[in-house]
Amino acid sequence: MVTRILTIDDSKTIRLLVARAFKPFDCQVIEAANGVEGLAVAAREKPDLIILDITMPVMDGYETLTRLKSNPELKNIPVIMLTAEAGRDNVLKIARLGVRDYLIKPFKEEQIIERAGRIVDLKTRGESSHGPKRFDEALQLLVVDDKPAIHELIRNGLSDTPWVVEGRVSAEQAIDYCSSCATPDVVLVSLSIPDNAAFNLFHMLRASVMTKNVPILAMSVKTALEEQVQATHIGFNGVITKPIDLTDLKTRVTRVLNLDTSYKYYQIRQGVMVLSLPQMLLPSILNEVSFHLRAKLVEGVDSGVNKLVIDMSQVQAPDVRLIKLGLQAMHFCSELSVRHSLIGSEAVCKECKSYEETKDWRFVNSFEEGLVALDGKQLAAV
Amino acid sequence: MQEEMLQDLDTHINNAVKDVFGTMLNYELEPMTITGDTWTMNGQPHVAGCVGFTGELNGVVYIYASEVFARRMASRLLGMDPQAVEAGEMICDTMGEIANMVAGPIKSRLSDNGMACVLTIPAIIRGTNFVVETVSSAERRFFAYRCAEGEVVTEVVIRHKNAN
Repeated sequence: MVTRILTIDDSKTIRLLVARAFKPFDCQVIEAANGVEGLAVAAREKPDLIILDITMPVMDGYETLTRLKSNPELKNIPVIMLTAEAGRDNVLKIARLGVRDYLIKPFKEEQIIERAGRIVDLKTRGESSHGPKRFDEALQLLVVDDKPAIHELIRNGLSDTPWVVEGRVSAEQAIDYCSSCATPDVVLVSLSIPDNAAFNLFHMLRASVMTKNVPILAMSVKTALEEQVQATHIGFNGVITKPIDLTDLKTRVTRVLNLDTSYKYYQIRQGVMVLSLPQMLLPSILNEVSFHLRAKLVEGVDSGVNKLVIDMSQVQAPDVRLIKLGLQAMHFCSELSVRHSLIGSEAVCKECKSYEETKDWRFVNSFEEGLVALDGKQLAAV
Repeated sequence: MQEEMLQDLDTHINNAVKDVFGTMLNYELEPMTITGDTWTMNGQPHVAGCVGFTGELNGVVYIYASEVFARRMASRLLGMDPQAVEAGEMICDTMGEIANMVAGPIKSRLSDNGMACVLTIPAIIRGTNFVVETVSSAERRFFAYRCAEGEVVTEVVIRHKNAN
């Protein structure tokens, strides 16, 4: 749900500044130019947060706040006061009126976001409005390690992906990057950076509205068990041990970001859905294929594609897990009235003969033959 | 008014102006010397944002800038192209808000020193050749600054409520 923020300020400049500050977030900023207007808008819109100026014509911030707090329907809306007056008396007066927080002008946009983020759940626009990111998107990985060689190792190791690796050698540099550049999709922090800085960095990233939901993976040498336990305990999203296994790293990033990898296995070709299985059937790959199977078939049926070709021609070492996946596919096809055909390697055909449930499966040799089989024409069984 | 108090106020005015321009506009202001107690506009269109304070002490804070520089400030503050800034409202609103932000800490300092006062709504003066005159019992303080994009002058006029 979109967070609704009401800014009550007689200055259009300030209202524009507030609206601009919240632009990266899934927020709707509503404006009012004085207290009277603000109370009417608050009653009508029931915002999640009000940012209220003090010095205003018609009705000032003090009176507006007093009226808000005396209205049973509005009194629970949190209010942040925006004031140019930092004096003791003013601050005490504001506090007594029941504001959740206050911000002294001049202010930076980050400050208003930080204060608001303590009160309402701010989600960046991409976070809530789009589905999961795809594996082949240009994801930003921030690698924090005092050894630049590690940045390079990860950068080179991920060069077969479109992912962008930004290396930083200290927690300070990482914070600067996060506050001045784009928010990274994932942060990898070495637990060995000096002065316990990895843990401090973790807390700082979690405290910032921009990075509070960014997955943070710890990097640690295999033998440093104590720091790994500590990292898990404080809430790191996972620990990657050094030396880094880059295949494992890709899998971990895929998991923590819940990346959509279905496009690697499911395509639409000539009006038919094709499920292509790779040569090496790692458990992680089978899990991914299985995870997306029903959703992809439903998606196909909804868009008028009700034929499936399962291409297992590349699979060289089939086992019972492949058989289970095949049976699962048959079940879904039957449930959704999707016609299917199978392309199999010699090894797959042989493996299927050894199970009661699959011994009668018929395989074809190519996609073209698969299309013919889907049209109901008989082909010689392989 | 006591000299010590005026000096303290001068420090606060200086800090407030630098803080507002640094935080909101990312300008680093350098103090600039002006001759006499006035400052000329050289026939250029100028804008002044003014905020008054009233109570134990009465006064006004003025922030003067050329219209060209005021437009730059508005565009910088709002992250807009200078040409996209509405000539009237946006420039005036920006100058009024800057004056308000400078007046805030001054008012707070006075209140903390037992001279409670309240701020007024910002007002704007625009023109190519105007002079603000004050009564003789009022203290006038001028502070001029320059940065890479222009010059700005702050004037603070203060008068005790019981002054003749």
